Amino acid sequence: MEKKVLKSKWNLTPEGWNLEGVPSSQDEKRYTQVGRSVPRIDGPIKVKGEAIYTGDMTLPGMVYGKIKRSTYAHAIIKKIDCCKALKLPGVLAVLTGDEAPNKWGIVPQAANETVLAVGKVRFYGEGVAAVAALDEETAEAALELIEVEYEPLPVLLDPFQSMERSQEVLIHEDSKGNIMHAGEQVYGDVDKAFAECEYVLEREFHTNYPQHGFLEPHSALASYDTQNGQLHLWASSQIPHYLHRQMSIVLEIPMNKIRVTLPTIGGGFGGKGEAAPSEFVACLLSRKVGRPVKVVYDRQEVFYTNKGRHPCHMKVKMGLDKDGYIQAVDFDNTLDKGAYSGWGIVVLFYTASMIHLPYKVPNARFRGRSVYTNKPSTGAMRGLGGVQPRWALECLMDEMAEMMGISPYELKLKNAIESGHTCINNMFVPHSEFKKCLETAVKKSGFLEKQGKLPFGKGIGMAGGYYITGTAYTLYQNYKPHTTVMIRVDTEGGVTLLCAAAEIGQGCNTVMAQMVAEELGIQYEDVHVQSGDTEIGAFDLGSFASRLTYAAGAAIKMACVEINQSLKETAAGMLGVRADQLVIKNHEIYSMYEIKKRISWEKAIEVYTSINGTLVGMGNFSPPRRKGIDIISGNRVQGANIGHSPTFGFSSQVHEVEVDVETGRIYVKKVTEAGDCGTPVNPMCVDGQVEGSIMFNIGACLYEDQKLDASGKHLNPNFHDYKTPTTMEMPEMDTNIVESYDHSAPFGVKETGEGAVQPTFPALTNAIYDAIGVRFYTLPITPEMVLKALKDKKEGEL
Amino acid sequence: MFLNHFEYFAPKTPAETLELVACLGSKAKILAGGTDLMVVMKAKAISPDYLIDINGVEEFKGIFCEQGKGAVIGTNTKLAEIQFSEAIQAKYPALAYAAGEVGSSQVRQMASLGGNSCNASPAAETPTPLVAMDAKVVLSSILGERELPLEEFILGVRVLDLAEGEMLTKFVLPEPKLKSACRYAYMGRRDAMEIDCVNMAVTIELEDDGEKVKNIKLVMGSVYPRPLVSKEVTALLVGQKLSDQLIEKAAEAAQGEAKPIDDIRASAEYRREIVKVLARRLIKEAYTDAKGV
Ligand SMILES: Cc1cc2nc3c(=O)[nH]c(=O)nc-3n(C[C@H](O)[C@H](O)[C@H](O)COP(=O)(O)OP(=O)(O)OC[C@H]3O[C@@H](n4cnc5c(N)ncnc54)[C@H](O)[C@@H]3O)c2cc1C
Repeated sequence: MEKKVLKSKWNLTPEGWNLEGVPSSQDEKRYTQVGRSVPRIDGPIKVKGEAIYTGDMTLPGMVYGKIKRSTYAHAIIKKIDCCKALKLPGVLAVLTGDEAPNKWGIVPQAANETVLAVGKVRFYGEGVAAVAALDEETAEAALELIEVEYEPLPVLLDPFQSMERSQEVLIHEDSKGNIMHAGEQVYGDVDKAFAECEYVLEREFHTNYPQHGFLEPHSALASYDTQNGQLHLWASSQIPHYLHRQMSIVLEIPMNKIRVTLPTIGGGFGGKGEAAPSEFVACLLSRKVGRPVKVVYDRQEVFYTNKGRHPCHMKVKMGLDKDGYIQAVDFDNTLDKGAYSGWGIVVLFYTASMIHLPYKVPNARFRGRSVYTNKPSTGAMRGLGGVQPRWALECLMDEMAEMMGISPYELKLKNAIESGHTCINNMFVPHSEFKKCLETAVKKSGFLEKQGKLPFGKGIGMAGGYYITGTAYTLYQNYKPHTTVMIRVDTEGGVTLLCAAAEIGQGCNTVMAQMVAEELGIQYEDVHVQSGDTEIGAFDLGSFASRLTYAAGAAIKMACVEINQSLKETAAGMLGVRADQLVIKNHEIYSMYEIKKRISWEKAIEVYTSINGTLVGMGNFSPPRRKGIDIISGNRVQGANIGHSPTFGFSSQVHEVEVDVETGRIYVKKVTEAGDCGTPVNPMCVDGQVEGSIMFNIGACLYEDQKLDASGKHLNPNFHDYKTPTTMEMPEMDTNIVESYDHSAPFGVKETGEGAVQPTFPALTNAIYDAIGVRFYTLPITPEMVLKALKDKKEGEL
Repeated sequence: MFLNHFEYFAPKTPAETLELVACLGSKAKILAGGTDLMVVMKAKAISPDYLIDINGVEEFKGIFCEQGKGAVIGTNTKLAEIQFSEAIQAKYPALAYAAGEVGSSQVRQMASLGGNSCNASPAAETPTPLVAMDAKVVLSSILGERELPLEEFILGVRVLDLAEGEMLTKFVLPEPKLKSACRYAYMGRRDAMEIDCVNMAVTIELEDDGEKVKNIKLVMGSVYPRPLVSKEVTALLVGQKLSDQLIEKAAEAAQGEAKPIDDIRASAEYRREIVKVLARRLIKEAYTDAKGV
């Protein structure tokens, strides 16, 4: 019996989710909770300063951990002497890398980090030892007493130099040529296609080295119970599951002895999308001293160990036929990996898949390599793998439109994909309103009336973009469901959603409450959300790849089927009608044919629980598996999985700038954006995400860059010298959510947190070109670069 | 990240303060807003044995601004108070503007005018306009007081003409001359929380004819170890009616005097370029405004 119920759940098609007879898309009034700008669940406590972050927590007997950091970017560790530190009163323990040598990393095939350096350091600021002490001050003093002897090695800070000098020095012994991974993907006949093109253009683009800039530093609090061997870790993480898994590998204790809990998280943007040494060190030290240990990074440590965006050195070539239709794209990418692999392989191949959308590309070639350097590792950062190639491609298309003598809008609209598009690499797009995004942003901004017609110094530019909504597989290649939720309903606790989703500030708890309320026919205020805990909640991969709204939405829908069915059957008995003719809405259960036959939802719960006890529904989400698999042969195809996702979000932006041609400073005056995020579950949250996305990448395009000196020492490891734009630099924003509903998606949803970062670089760069007639191929575009370019231009004209 | 251990004093009167300053000498540091001091102490750049917190001393705070009599500003007057003071906005708009450009709102609520000068950072906002308007500082000790032009007080990066046992107690601003104007401008990457790559202030006083320059003082910040007063601009423009050509020449002269350095914020070359742009813009602006008075 049990088995049968489960089986029927697995067979549900997206259309079959709506058991009420009317597909949701045909009944616009159906949604009462989804689509509302309800206030954020976590809003009030955050505004009042009452939210508890890991750093705010204390446990009885808690002590403090700190990490000693390398003062070399590349060196053999000859000796670590901790004797003096151990003698300092108040010091309880020290830890060195050889005590926990198991390698960790989010992509298991390439995991090559250790908690603390073992034998060798590979970037300036890498952890070499750690201490636990009664207070932070003692811990800090103890670090000074740890003596480390280094034998310096050549420091490689540039990927090309790193490849060139690999005969002489290897950053990782097992990575020949200092290449972490190289790959090629060829679809169609690229050379033949180019030969037949009317317009061909090739350019090189170089991106910068920004990092996330989240407010809360990495923080961890671990409590190991020496009696029963249970470990409880509170951490500022986006990925409680992967953290849980890697902790088990490093500590060599089973996962079921470890519990990961997320307190309030102060932002991540990808920077907490891998485990962090702080977390391992807290756990290892806690196990060692038998007391809770807290490790909180200061800002400098965040910069030293950050996993910011990969600098990419890209050669891009595009060919158009005489009518402007794209025939081929050739893309060569060298990524600066920094010291350790982390998300590396994923990022490498994401950049590869970015060339296939949002325009139709019949022939495509990618060659890429991710190269180790002696820098803080690069990793996941909002719009992972997309931002760099998007910038190159959209700028290239702007230039090609000029070559053809048409508007970039015309060129982009002409090539834009539509719903049901299958890319040459087998990526399938079930639904797209990308054209609507382009049209809306262009129309609302007056782009066509302004471009090329503004006075010198003023300019307007446009670009499109897209991003994945979800991911195709678990990184350790197990096709289990990616999200499981449990919904508990009874007369005492009301409705509680239990899951392990990571609320990192993006608003998933609010959105999940809205979706649960929608499905159960109640109000979002009625739903309690227990998330971010691997023991209380069920399985969830984490907050990355813009996956949560989609994945949790699907799982919630499935969990609610069971609950609604039970309640309908209970109500049916009470009302004397057929269960399948009942509708649940606004806290009521009623017959869709005899509207007088109705009872309150609470009454049905009361009756149900009196007979059966607490009502529980479980739901799962697994991404569709055909992605990345050749449907005919059944074989995995090149580019399998990476970049594939159940559906995709789209965005288009128009930026208007003013350039002070005497100082070179660029002022972004107005941004008009139009996004296809499917159903906006909470339009206010969507606006917040989109505005935040735009500011995020205005920062990386014009301001932000991590700088290292020749020895690899970080020159701006603080917000004083690493400049992000402030609210003073925020342009006027006109963000628009285009009408969109993806029938293949739960509630018709898509992503919104990462798609809107994609068009920002190119729209801005194109606007600057429109303003001053200079195209930039290097980021960030600083006032100095603008002045120099203007000077060069003037000299060129003379 | 942690402060060294120090002894903390919180005097209530100027006399008590000066007594402490006299006794503790260079082992003590004055704590005004602490927005600089705490940062350098946490970085272990300095580790004073004593801190003398002057926030309990009312006499060190406040703006005294009378018609025709210039202004006196207590050392521990917060930058936010100066930024929003109607009297300062009316009489010394360049100072109000510069004060409002320091750090962020939170910083300006804490930071003092005296701290901004005593910190002696080349990039500081307020010393530049203060020097341009001929402000003087009053330095006090148990032995008495002395008055010094601000440009002679700040000697270099974190170097002051401050004797052992002395502290800064107030700023004395002369009454702006008839037919004169002082203007301030800066260049940085962003408009808040910014350490300027160049800042500048210009005071212009005109002859009775309202056309010829009687006096001009152009002061540059962030391009020299201390606020740099241009000699050449004064030499070039005094006695002249200003034209675009002349202004350009003066701007180039200022550019030639500036001795900026390369650092993470900007290259020396770029800074020199900006000196010219700001000088041109400011001289024009101040000239127009002086004429308008
Ligand atoms: C986030 C942030 C942003 C900032 N942005 C800027 C900026 O944009 N521009 C800028 O110029 N500065 C900036 N600062 C630096 C600082 O805020 C200013 O220099 C401020 O004016 C210092 O004033 P304070 O009262 O806080 O000085 P304090 O920190 O209290 O003192 C600074 C120094 O002066 C000494 N001192 C103070 N008062 C006296 C006195 N009366 N006599 C003798 N010595 C004295 C102290 O002993 C100390 O050495 C910033 C600081 C922070 C933390």
